[in-house]
Amino acid sequence: MSGRAGNLGGRALVLGSILAALVLVGAYLAAGGSSYEPEKVQDPCKPRPWSDPQSLGQIANQFTISALDGAACQLGVTRETLALALTTPERREAFEQRYGIDDEKLARAIRAGLLRAVDDAEEAGALSPLIALPLRQTLQQIPLETAIEIINDAQGFLGDAEGFLGPAQGLLEQLLPGGLEGLGLP
Amino acid sequence: MAESRRPRVAALALAVGLVLADSSIVVLALPEIYRELDTSVSGVTWVLVSFNLVIALAAVPAALLARRVGPARTAAVGLAVFAGAGLACGLADELSTLIVARCVQALGGAAAVTAALELLPATVGSERRAATVWAAAGATGAALGPAVGGLLTELVSWQSIFLLQVPLALAAAVPILAVARHEAATRVIEEEVRSTGRPHLWANLALAMVSAAIAAALFLLVLLLIEGWRLSPIEAAAVVSAMPLAAIFGSRLTERVGDARSRAAAGAILVSGGLAGLAFLPKATIALTLPPQILVGVGLALVLSALTETALGGRAPQAIHGGWTISSRHAGVVIGLLILTPIFTADIEQQRHDAIDAGTAVILDSPVNPLLKIDLAEKVSERLDEERGKVPTIGPAFEPKPDDPSQRSEVEQLQSELQDQLDRGATHAFSTSFLLAALLGLIALFPIGLSRRVDL
Repeated sequence: MSGRAGNLGGRALVLGSILAALVLVGAYLAAGGSSYEPEKVQDPCKPRPWSDPQSLGQIANQFTISALDGAACQLGVTRETLALALTTPERREAFEQRYGIDDEKLARAIRAGLLRAVDDAEEAGALSPLIALPLRQTLQQIPLETAIEIINDAQGFLGDAEGFLGPAQGLLEQLLPGGLEGLGLP
Repeated sequence: MAESRRPRVAALALAVGLVLADSSIVVLALPEIYRELDTSVSGVTWVLVSFNLVIALAAVPAALLARRVGPARTAAVGLAVFAGAGLACGLADELSTLIVARCVQALGGAAAVTAALELLPATVGSERRAATVWAAAGATGAALGPAVGGLLTELVSWQSIFLLQVPLALAAAVPILAVARHEAATRVIEEEVRSTGRPHLWANLALAMVSAAIAAALFLLVLLLIEGWRLSPIEAAAVVSAMPLAAIFGSRLTERVGDARSRAAAGAILVSGGLAGLAFLPKATIALTLPPQILVGVGLALVLSALTETALGGRAPQAIHGGWTISSRHAGVVIGLLILTPIFTADIEQQRHDAIDAGTAVILDSPVNPLLKIDLAEKVSERLDEERGKVPTIGPAFEPKPDDPSQRSEVEQLQSELQDQLDRGATHAFSTSFLLAALLGLIALFPIGLSRRVDL
């Protein structure tokens, strides 16, 4: 190949390479190649509004999340970290060691979380004030293991509460003139 | 060429191909070795690093030794050492044993490859033809290495890669050993050569940088395919074959453009462009890896041949300068792996944490039954822990599926959403490393700009 032809071919090859590289990178960027962000975990201390729950299952779902948020906020960890820590005793122990938390502190945080869940449920109209009131009193006393069980099985807990307190609420609504509003409950 | 010389040329080509394939042949077996020998990603990287490091250090001394004691003797002994160490690699049941055996294998390999370049001119009749045969054998070995390694790992075992090298290396040693008896014959060539100057600094520096980028491309892509996207070694071998196939096309371009500096610059730009493409993959899809691989493949054919040609052009003895190019290329591989390994292992670890958090968040926010979701969150996080950085197929965590049809469909939707999160996360974990490798390729443009072929 002559020198001039060689240079021309060389220049074309370099320009073609630049073009090919730019086209590829440009196309991938345009298709969202740099847009990936890992799913961000939310701040548990920020209120998480309840959607309109239609069934006990949906109420239990949001109750669990509110309770986890409340407890995680108190402990200064993410809701996700706490949820995984509560799945087995071994994970709970590792979690307590890692964050320097004892059983008592964890129990207080979970009780606070459960109380926040009751408040949120009541505010969303998913729990009547008559059920919420005794629930709060009960939750303030419960031991750690029971508190964890309630978070893990909110549906069973709320179902039991409803089954036990529901008929009492119906009776009061029938006996009191003006129903529950007559009691001046919030 | 005389009939009697053909077996010798074939043996020398086999020796060069075998040794140069060895720097990349284990790439697809690394995930298997990593699991079987119960080590870490950084630990298993040393199976590659040790071999390339020793070759980089031993290539030039081996070339000097070949000229002093005779190239045929050096090549035959080198191949015997390579075979013996290959046997030890195949029988190794601990990472440390495997790494030591790899170092010995590299010593034998360095002796065989550099001595082959010294022997070839006498065998094929001219230095130019010798360099062509040597470069072609090396390129074929390096290109076929990953695919052959992947096939053997999946069909037999990772150990079979090394055990198969034993008879092949010995077969190559036999015809060379016959020459060793008449070693004086090669002195004719020795008398013809002139010692012409120092090694070509800029070309060898550029070779090192480009080799770092190319090694990173191959190593990271294989890890992404096997560890990130859960492909089998055979499937991964089929995917990464796009690179050597594109390199064949690239070598045709080499014949058409005479200017070595332009070829080297174009090649470095293509390699960098391809690596940047891999850094910005929009989806975790095999098809999207093909265009970047084609760019890297064409680029590596252009840049490696142009820089080797520049480094050897007009210099003698060829074995010594060939030793320098081998040393530069393998040093580049080592530098690339050592720079990028801590970066991508940290990124993979971070991605694992993000994946656990993101996976738990997706599960907690899903509409499935609370009891079921807590159970799922635990099983998914357990799978992520068990796989030690490998992105798992999370299907087993979702079994058995609920009987209730509405819950079943919620769980299936959740599973697909979560797997997508994990796949995208795994792909993203390699982005920084691919971008850094692309940068290495671009930096190589500076020494390429300064390199001129010296024709004496």
